[in-house]
Amino acid sequence: MNEIREDILDFLKRHGFLDKRITLQENDSLSETGLIDSITLLELIDFLERKYSIQIPVEMITPENFDTLAGISKSVMKLKNG
Amino acid sequence: MSVSVVAKASHSCKKCVLDSATPGIFINEDTGLCQFCEHFAPLSSEKKEEYHARMDSLLKFPHKTGMYDVIFALSGGVDSSYALYRLKMEYPNLTILAVQFDNGFITETALENAQKFCALTKSTYIRLSLDQNALEETFTKAAHSIDAYPGAAKYRASDICNTCISIIKQKIIEIAIITKAPFIVFAFSPGQADVPFVKLTKSILVWMRKLFDQSLKTIGVTDREQYLVDVHLIQPGSPEPEVMIIHPFLVWDYDKIKFKKECIQLGWIDPLLKDHNSSNCLLNAFAIKKHFDKYHIHPYAYDLAALVRQGNMKREDALKKLIVDVSDASIEEIKLKLKL
Repeated sequence: MNEIREDILDFLKRHGFLDKRITLQENDSLSETGLIDSITLLELIDFLERKYSIQIPVEMITPENFDTLAGISKSVMKLKNG
Repeated sequence: MSVSVVAKASHSCKKCVLDSATPGIFINEDTGLCQFCEHFAPLSSEKKEEYHARMDSLLKFPHKTGMYDVIFALSGGVDSSYALYRLKMEYPNLTILAVQFDNGFITETALENAQKFCALTKSTYIRLSLDQNALEETFTKAAHSIDAYPGAAKYRASDICNTCISIIKQKIIEIAIITKAPFIVFAFSPGQADVPFVKLTKSILVWMRKLFDQSLKTIGVTDREQYLVDVHLIQPGSPEPEVMIIHPFLVWDYDKIKFKKECIQLGWIDPLLKDHNSSNCLLNAFAIKKHFDKYHIHPYAYDLAALVRQGNMKREDALKKLIVDVSDASIEEIKLKLKL
């Protein structure tokens, strides 16, 4: 889980322009904190699919699964473990 | 007299055009590269072939679900005019509805170009107009707004352009759902979009709508429904939309100089705007200047940097595009129209 979390944070630092001084909590909303919009979200999904060789079903892309660090990490873990 | 806007040179990435004078851009002193060039992995030829095959399978013999196969976002500029022409050449079976959004600042030439290319490709043309006074008020508020869009969006476009593009997206998605068109095509450059195929689900649409509604609210727009997808189309109980967005320039090679030459041969007329970044909209140069004044971010730098990084544009050509030459007269004209 920690590895996935770090990868997401790395991605957000580069593509979401996440300020290095900001500490993001597990359940902070990425969209409400201004870190992702619809384009960054699609880039993040593409990044995770490539990084973990997974296919994220489009039905899974909901705010519950992809708007927080906790939600994304959990979703990726689930897909990785089949 | 003219006003030139260009990012102040400090440490520039040795590969692309990003500069450490821009907030959020860091240049590694050891490598001389920005954070994007350091992590850049070019698209493999296998992946490109896979994308091509996928686009062929989707568009060669489209499964008819409604009157149109494709809702095409046509600005009348070089990229979208070329993309419409090439799409029809490669996939002659497609029935296309081309939608040109009239934001009140589109040049007459762009309107003519759009209609000309629709005739050339036998596409149906519609000019989508909304309440022009409300639009001008919205752009004025967007020009004054601060942090209405997420951090990353500020690097992709100005607040004015983000507002305009988001309205276009919402309205085009709405048209696609209503007409049961399975595909939407946007001629975004490979610097403006990362993913070539985007399947839209109701939950993604609800999410996208909510994010844009929030931005409009921050801008101070009160009558927001006119700019958003009709909520009835995506509310619980409504049918699941069967729509996919395609960005063909992430599949085809991207060469703007070649596109322009080809378009001119086909009858496209250059509106000869002073703005190097737009061939259709009079508001764009003003929007860039305003954005730079607010955030010290040139809204085209990120896009142009990506094109250079990918090998789709020469660095010196991109650097030229980062100089915005806006005459005092044109600024005053826009200010007057936006009551600024």
